[in-house]
Amino acid sequence: MKRAGTYSGILSGGISGRTGPHLLPLARIKKIMKKSSDDVKMISGEAPIVFSKACELLIEEITKRAWNITVQGKRRTICKEDVASAVITTDTFDFLVNLVLDSANSQDSPRP
Amino acid sequence: MELGGNGGFHGYRRLPQNSSAGTKAPEISMELPPQMNQTTNTNSVTDDTECTVREQDRFMPIANVIRIMRKILPPHAKISDDAKETIQECVSEFIGFITSEANDRCQREQRKTITAEDVLWAMSKLGFDDYIEPLTLYLHRYREYDGGERGSLAGEPLVKRAVDPGTYGFMTFPPVPFPMAPHHGFFGAPPMNGFLKDPSNAGPSQAAVAGIDPSPHCKEQV
Repeated sequence: MKRAGTYSGILSGGISGRTGPHLLPLARIKKIMKKSSDDVKMISGEAPIVFSKACELLIEEITKRAWNITVQGKRRTICKEDVASAVITTDTFDFLVNLVLDSANSQDSPRP
Repeated sequence: MELGGNGGFHGYRRLPQNSSAGTKAPEISMELPPQMNQTTNTNSVTDDTECTVREQDRFMPIANVIRIMRKILPPHAKISDDAKETIQECVSEFIGFITSEANDRCQREQRKTITAEDVLWAMSKLGFDDYIEPLTLYLHRYREYDGGERGSLAGEPLVKRAVDPGTYGFMTFPPVPFPMAPHHGFFGAPPMNGFLKDPSNAGPSQAAVAGIDPSPHCKEQV
């Protein structure tokens, strides 16, 4: 079997808050996967690992695109609208369009 | 506990379903630092309301997200808080989106477990072809790393006989240079459960030789 220390370290993301060799916590990924639909039953150990890298790639891609828009606007701070524009102008991010427009619409939710 | 109006503390972010966003939703725990990305914080109130999932559990930790963003941005770039949060939400949406597709495939094929291959297939189907190659590489490297660790244990010629790899975990003694000569009787005490399948072994218990502490349950040939 896998060596317990290594694997559980990877899975749990490290007790001290480190995420081990992965940048994103695998346990959290697994949780989100399970919540995506009611009938998600079992998830292999490697699936969260693939997602951890995939999410990293996604974050990088959105960030890069958003930053390009920021730069075009001669600004230095990426704002939410830049992210929204990046999403809208990219075909593969169609599934995110509602999310970014939604968050723009519910902007007025007060923070306590 | 004081509820800070601190913009950086994302624990209070409005949940889309929650219309009365001004109230203190009791199910949102306020005490955990954003860095906490463990599953230990699972004391959520399970009231079967739609907001039972705590905020921290729905998203990736924001610190991790920010770290990844900063990796590729120039040093002078700044990121607004709501941009960070938006990207945080996008990540969760992405995971859900891909998982649904992968799950559908599993169900069609009557499998119960979503595998890494399913995830990769779903990504390819949903337009993320560019990710497939780096992900496949990453996965292979991960498998090598992990398989290599196991391999180094299993492949260790500790006992140059037929060794039952299943009980390998018990090997607590260092690779002592056993003479391996059959008549030596050096393996008088197979440490675990017939671990050492040396049939010519007929000697008395020599467990101490290798510094093995014979397990009390190990009675074979002792």
